[in-house]
Amino acid sequence: MADTPAIELTGVSKSFGGFQALLGVDLTVAEGERVVVCGPSGSGKSTLIRCINRLEEHDAGRIVVEGVELSDDVDALDEVRREVGMVFQSFNLFPHLTVLQNCALAPMRVRGTKRAAAEALGMKYLDKVQIPGEAHKFPDQLSGGQQQRVAIARALCMEPRIMLFDEPTSALDPEMIGEVLDTMVTLAEEGMTMICVTHEMAFARRVADRIVFMADGEVVEIADPETFFTNPQNDRTRTFLDQILKQ
Amino acid sequence: MAVALAPPATDDNLMAWARRRLFSTWLDGLITVAFGALMIWAVARIVDWGVLDAVWTVAEKDRCREVDGACWSVIGARGRLILFGLYPHDEHWRSTLACIAIILTMGFSCIPKFWGLRRLPALWVAGFAIFILLMYGGILGLPVVRTEQWGGLSLTVFIFAAVVVIGMPLAVVLALARRSPLPVISGVANVIINFVRSLPLLAILFTAAVVVPFVVPDWAQGDKLVRVTLAFALFFACYQAEIIRAGLQAIPSGQEEAASALGMKYWSRVFDIMLPQAFRNSLPSTINQFVITFKETSIVTIIGFFEIMASGNAAVGTGEWVSQFVEVYVFVGAIYFAFVFGLSRYGAYLERRARLTHG
Ligand SMILES: Nc1ncnc2c1ncn2[C@@H]1O[C@H](COP(=O)(O)OP(=O)(O)OP(=O)(O)O)[C@@H](O)[C@H]1O
Ligand SMILES: [Mg+2]
Repeated sequence: MADTPAIELTGVSKSFGGFQALLGVDLTVAEGERVVVCGPSGSGKSTLIRCINRLEEHDAGRIVVEGVELSDDVDALDEVRREVGMVFQSFNLFPHLTVLQNCALAPMRVRGTKRAAAEALGMKYLDKVQIPGEAHKFPDQLSGGQQQRVAIARALCMEPRIMLFDEPTSALDPEMIGEVLDTMVTLAEEGMTMICVTHEMAFARRVADRIVFMADGEVVEIADPETFFTNPQNDRTRTFLDQILKQ
Repeated sequence: MAVALAPPATDDNLMAWARRRLFSTWLDGLITVAFGALMIWAVARIVDWGVLDAVWTVAEKDRCREVDGACWSVIGARGRLILFGLYPHDEHWRSTLACIAIILTMGFSCIPKFWGLRRLPALWVAGFAIFILLMYGGILGLPVVRTEQWGGLSLTVFIFAAVVVIGMPLAVVLALARRSPLPVISGVANVIINFVRSLPLLAILFTAAVVVPFVVPDWAQGDKLVRVTLAFALFFACYQAEIIRAGLQAIPSGQEEAASALGMKYWSRVFDIMLPQAFRNSLPSTINQFVITFKETSIVTIIGFFEIMASGNAAVGTGEWVSQFVEVYVFVGAIYFAFVFGLSRYGAYLERRARLTHG
């Protein structure tokens, strides 16, 4: 099993009505690999990672996660979602629950963990994202950076093998981006398999094993960070990098 | 850094406050004096009528014709009729206890500690069981009192509670069904809601009370009060379903996505994530609907039930108390007010609790 990839996409396509958001995407992510996905707005980055835990259903191609193929099979989907955690641009914390309840809910409902054990688990991961002191507050009493770290802790409480991040720092004020990225770096260093959509190029350079560049629903270029930043092969990659690094 | 400003002037001095707020211009002063006088006059009249010039006891009822004030003797003389309707006189204690049981059950279900998928249903099953046992009797040596004889405040409170308790889960089911991705389910919910809403409540209650016995076989008819309550609950549910649906629609789509991504199944997403937020979003409209429903219970008079409004009418309908209708309406009005005001205050408490409002 050692060489089974964590995630394997072959020829994945997805359209919304008549609009093709993904066009035959092939991507293989190895166990423990960190992949950063970037590309212009509307290029299909979100659609791609939302297909991996089936928040969007792909129309064609195959998606295999930890050896389980995604299809209409509900049991397979449950299995995949247990293994895949996701962090959203807009945090999506549950506003009617405290921080600790946010963390403990899914282990209780999905894994059947007892409340005390689930809350202990919650505290463990709140510790890890360095906000144990906020456990009994409600999400709207926290700063954006703290909320996103709670969202990461909440996903980690399911002890997933894969984490998906969809622009986790894009909704944050600049001074809070660092604390969230630091948390993600820690995760990366512990060997978590990660796919991360982000335009934080310094982060990409530091943690990514490979960078995927997408445009118009296709994967245009895949390269290690060194090659990607110093010697991009595709014109569109170069244009994109020029724009983003100018800022 | 912002510079600290001097604190705003406080109203430490009543005269200064009055000058600033009530008498700042000529016109202000005039309006203040005019409305002040009007208010004092109105309050004085009400106190005169209701307290100072009033006759209080039944024994003194002959003085009623002589005085200008209220004749509260009518409440003493006819109070039991108002509160118990046609319920047999010797069994009034049962109606009282039954009414208290329902009110206590309502009170308990207002306490967040009781909001559980097991606790709340258990509480209401117990509450209704005690109510029916006491009101209907037939065991423990209690003589049977048929539902046609139920009346007054107990009946009002019972109909209200039953309509809400049966209607609420039904409303949740209809609201969820209407959002279902399966066209058959959403279609059926849609038809039910729109059909029921397009009919007047009176027509629905008439159908349940009068028409059903003609078309349904005897064994399936059930009691008239049960049929009417169920029909009323369906009517309530169709309105409340739309209120809940509005609450569901106000939830950002990311909430359900986050729950799905965590692996939570449909029912868990519904009960743990969607419904708590939907109820919170729709709290003001829901309280509104409760208040409307409480007052609408008086419509069952028309199909022959003596709830409190009808028994109030009956109390002054004939005989010696015909001219005391104002006193009786004030009395009945005060009872309605107590319930509706209690509901409103509870709604305000819930909003504070949900931190929807500040203050
Ligand atoms: N639910 C939807 N219905 C219709 N079109 C959609 C939907 N979701 C995405 N799209 C379209 O698919 C395309 C790809 O969207 P996607 O969100 O994947 O882009 P993205 O690369 O994540 O962009 P951004 O950087 O702005 O987040 C866009 O043109 C978008 O308008
Ligand atoms: Mg996106």
